[in-house]
Amino acid sequence: MAGINRELLLDCAICPNMCRCECPVDREFGREAVSPSGKARLAHLLLEGHLDWDGDLLEAISSCLGCRGCRLLCPFPELDLCEELLLARTEARPAGMILPAAVPYLNNLKKFGSPYGARPAALASPGSQNPEVLYFINCTSQANHPRSQQIILELLEAAGVSYRVLDQYCCGYPAQIWGDMELARQLAAENSARAAQSGAQLLLTDCPECWHTFTARYPEWGSELSLPVVDTATFFLGLVRQGRLEPGPLGEIGTVAYHDPCIWARVAEICAAPRELMQSIPGLELREAQPAGRETRCCGGGAMFQLTFPEQSAGIARRRLEEMPPAAALVTSCPFCRENLQAGGGKVLDLAELLGLAVLR
Amino acid sequence: MLEHLGRTIQEERLPAPDYGALAEKFRSIVGSEGVSAGGADRLATCRDYWPMGTLWFLEGKAPALPDLVVWPRSSSEVAAVLKLAAENNIPVTPYGEGSGALGGAVPLQGGIALDMKRMNRVLKLDRDNLMVTVEPGLNGSRYEEYLNRHGYTGGHFPQSLRCSTVGGWVACRAAGTFSTRYGKIEDMVVSLEAVLPDGKVIRGRKLPRTSTGPRVDHLFIGSEGTLGVITAITLRIWPYPEKRIYCSYTFETIERALEAIRRLVQAGARPAVVRLYDPAETAHHFPDCEAAAGRVILVLLFEGDAGIIAAEEQLAAKLAREEGGLAAGPEPVEHWLETRFNVGLASKLFRQGAVVDTIEVSTNWTNAAPLYHAMQKAILAVEGTALASGHYSHVYPEGAALYLTLVGFPAGDKREYYRRLWGAAMESCLSLGGAISHHHGVGLHRGLWMAQEHGKALEALRMIKEALDPQGIMNPGKLGLGEVKKWPE
Ligand SMILES: Cc1cc2nc3c(=O)[nH]c(=O)nc-3n(C[C@H](O)[C@H](O)[C@H](O)COP(=O)(O)OP(=O)(O)OC[C@H]3O[C@@H](n4cnc5c(N)ncnc54)[C@H](O)[C@@H]3O)c2cc1C
Ligand code: SF4
Ligand code: SF4
Repeated sequence: MAGINRELLLDCAICPNMCRCECPVDREFGREAVSPSGKARLAHLLLEGHLDWDGDLLEAISSCLGCRGCRLLCPFPELDLCEELLLARTEARPAGMILPAAVPYLNNLKKFGSPYGARPAALASPGSQNPEVLYFINCTSQANHPRSQQIILELLEAAGVSYRVLDQYCCGYPAQIWGDMELARQLAAENSARAAQSGAQLLLTDCPECWHTFTARYPEWGSELSLPVVDTATFFLGLVRQGRLEPGPLGEIGTVAYHDPCIWARVAEICAAPRELMQSIPGLELREAQPAGRETRCCGGGAMFQLTFPEQSAGIARRRLEEMPPAAALVTSCPFCRENLQAGGGKVLDLAELLGLAVLR
Repeated sequence: MLEHLGRTIQEERLPAPDYGALAEKFRSIVGSEGVSAGGADRLATCRDYWPMGTLWFLEGKAPALPDLVVWPRSSSEVAAVLKLAAENNIPVTPYGEGSGALGGAVPLQGGIALDMKRMNRVLKLDRDNLMVTVEPGLNGSRYEEYLNRHGYTGGHFPQSLRCSTVGGWVACRAAGTFSTRYGKIEDMVVSLEAVLPDGKVIRGRKLPRTSTGPRVDHLFIGSEGTLGVITAITLRIWPYPEKRIYCSYTFETIERALEAIRRLVQAGARPAVVRLYDPAETAHHFPDCEAAAGRVILVLLFEGDAGIIAAEEQLAAKLAREEGGLAAGPEPVEHWLETRFNVGLASKLFRQGAVVDTIEVSTNWTNAAPLYHAMQKAILAVEGTALASGHYSHVYPEGAALYLTLVGFPAGDKREYYRRLWGAAMESCLSLGGAISHHHGVGLHRGLWMAQEHGKALEALRMIKEALDPQGIMNPGKLGLGEVKKWPE
C-alpha cells in the first residue's frame, strides 16, 4: 500500500456506483453515504479540505468490510476501494479519533494481544523446536471455537507433521482496521521475531485476514516473515494427496454447502483447494452457493464488523445464508465467516473440522 | 462536518420549519435508525448523476442539502411521514439510488430526502399470472437476480441496472436496452401502490387491462416524485428465455441501416436489442471488427422461443442484405454484452476537466436520420464541444430513440457552457418535432423545455399537481411543474 491514490479515489467518487449491487454494506445499510462511491466521495471531499473530520464521517468511511465485492464489477482494475478507504482512515485522520464501537476492543488488543480480552491458556503442548510447521493461533477461533484449533493440531499429529504453536499476539489486522498503526506495527514486529526464532519451515494459518496481514502488510510494515505462509486448505490437501491423511466417509453428513470467504476467494484466489479437499472425503456431496467462488458474497464478518457493527453484520450474514443451498452442514474456512454464519442459524463447520471428522474417526 | 461546504442552487423554504424539533417526531414514526441529521447522510443524498452535480462536486460544492434523511420501511410509514411533512410545510424528495441523470433527486428546498432503499423486498411472485410485486427500493440487479433464480426475467436492463432501483425506473419512465422485445417500464407496470402528499394510499388493481376510466396509479409512472411516493410495484415478467441469437450487420450509411430496422420491426419482428451506432461510435466501440471499418454497425440480439427467434433472424438477414448490409457475426454482440456497463471513461474525462453528458430523445421514422444530423450539428457548433456521437438505442414500429454522447472542454465557465450545450440540443430536437427525452426523464434540468414539449398539456399536469399537492411539498422544482429560482441563472 503506497499512499492514497487520489486520482483513482476521485474516479470512484465520480462513478455512479456501478458496483453497488455487489456491496453487502450498501445492501444491508441502505444508506447512500456508505455505498461504494458514497464513501469515496466523502473521502475525496475530506482529503481536499472541503469537509471536517467528525465521528459521523469516520463511521461512514469505516463502513467497509474489505470484501472486494466491488472489484468484481469495477471498470478500474487498479482500484481497490477498500484499500483507499483504509488509507484515508489510517493516514488522514486526526490522532486519537477512533470509532467509538472499536474502543473497548482496541483496549483489549493493547492489554492482552487479542481484541477479545484475556487469552485462554495456550493449547495442548507448544510442540517441538525447529518443526515443519509453525501454527498461528488466530484470536477469533481462540475466543469463539478453540476446538477447531485443537483439531488442526490433531490432524498435524495424525499426518506425522512436526509443529509448534505461536499464540501470543494478534496478527495486527484489527489494529490496522481501527487505525492504530503503531500498535499494528508492534504486533507485527513481535510475531515476526517469534516466527523467526521458531526455526519452522512454514507458517500455517486458518484465518484469511491473518494470511493477508502476514503476506501483504508485514513486508510494508518492515516485519516481513522469514518463512512462507500457507493456508490450511492448501496444506491439508497436500497431505491428503501425499497419502499422509486418509479421509474416510462421514456418517450423518452426506451433503455440504461451501461458503467461500472473500479474502481466500478474491485476494488469495484459493477456491479450488477447499473443494478438492472436501471432494476427497468419500461419498460427500458438495453443493454450491449462488454466487460462489470468486463471486462469493461476504458473510458480514469482514473488518471486524461483528464487533463494531453487530446488527448490520448479522443482517449481512442472514442475506448470505439465503444464498446457500440446503445441505446437512455449511462449511467455510474462515473464523469470522464461521462465527457469523453460525450466529445466523444452521450448523457451520470449519473446513479443518470437517476434515477432522473424516480423518480422526 | 459541512461547515465549509458551498451550496449552489439551494432555495429557501418559507416559513422555515424547525427541523431540530421535528426530527424527534419523524423518529417516532420510523424509529431512531430511520432518521439522520448527520453530515455524511445529508451530503450523500444531495445529488444524483446529473453532470452539473458532478461538476459542482469537483469544486467541493453541493447543489442543495436535505435537512434530514428519512428511511421508511413500509407504505404506512411513508404515509405517516408525508402527513407530518405536509402539516409542517416540509419538502420531501424521494431518493432511490441516485443514478438519475437530470438532478431529479436534488432536494432543492432542503427538507427530507426520503431514501427508499430499505423498502427492498419482493412481496409476491405470481407464477400463474406472470407478475411480481416488489417494493420500490429494490436494486435493479438484485431484482433481475431474484427473477432469474426462480426461472424468470424482468426484461429490463438499463445501463444503470446495477445502480438504480425499480422505483426509480418507474418514477423516471425508464427504458432498458432489451426494450424492443420487452417494452419500456411503462409497458411492464401492471399496477402501483402510491402514497399521496396528504398520506392517503392508493392501490391500482393487478388486472391485465381495464376500461374503468383513466388509471390513476399509472399517473405515477414518470412522475419523478412530484405527485407522491411509489411504495409497491407490480410488473410483468417473462419465462427465462430458452435461447438467444446474436448477429450484427454493417452498412454504408445510417439511412440504409435505419431502413432495414424499420422494415424489420414493422413486419412484426421483436429483437430484444437493436442498436445502431454512427461512424464515430462504431469506430470507438468496435475497433476490432474489420467489417465495420468506415461503416456503421447494427447490433441485434434475439431471445425467447427458439423457433420464433430463428424466423426473426432470417428476416433480419434478408432485410439487411436488401439494404446493402454485410453480416459481421456474433462477436460485436458478445463484445457489447461484455462492455455494456463500463462507464469508467466518463470518470476519467470529468477528472481531466471535461464536461460529459448524454442526451436521449425520440422521434418517428420519418425524422430519425435528419434528427441525428441536426442535433449533432447544433451541438458541435457550441464552442468547446469536442465530441458529439450517437447511436439509436431503442426502436418501435412508429419510430426510434436517439442517444447522443457529448464531451466538451470549454475554455470558460462550465455552467455557462453546459447551459448553451443543452440549449442547442433541445432547440434543434424540438424544431424537428422530437421528444426532448426518451428515458432519462426531466428532473430539474429538462424542466426548462417542458412547456415547449407539452404546450397546454403542461398546464393540465400542473393542475393535477396542484390538486394532489397544494402545498407543493413533493420534490419541488422538478418536471417543469414549479418555479426554479437559481437554475440555470
Ligand atoms: C451510467 C448510467 C446509465 C443509465 N442508463 C439508463 C438507461 O439505460 N435507461 C434509463 O432509463 N435510464 C438510465 N439512466 C438514468 C437512471 O438510471 C434512471 O433514471 C433510473 O431510473 C433512476 O433510478 P434511481 O433509483 O437511481 O432513482 P434516483 O436517481 O434516486 O431518482 C430519480 C427520480 O425518481 C424519484 N423517485 C425515486 N424513487 C421514487 C419513489 N419510490 N417514488 C417516487 N419517486 C421516486 C426521485 O425523486 C427522482 O426524481 C442511467 C444513469 C446512469 C448513471
Ligand atoms: S469501486 Fe469501481 S465500480 Fe464501484 S463505485 Fe468505485 S469506481 Fe465505481
Ligand atoms: S470492499 Fe466490500 S464492503 Fe467495501 S466497498 Fe467494496 S463491496 Fe463494499
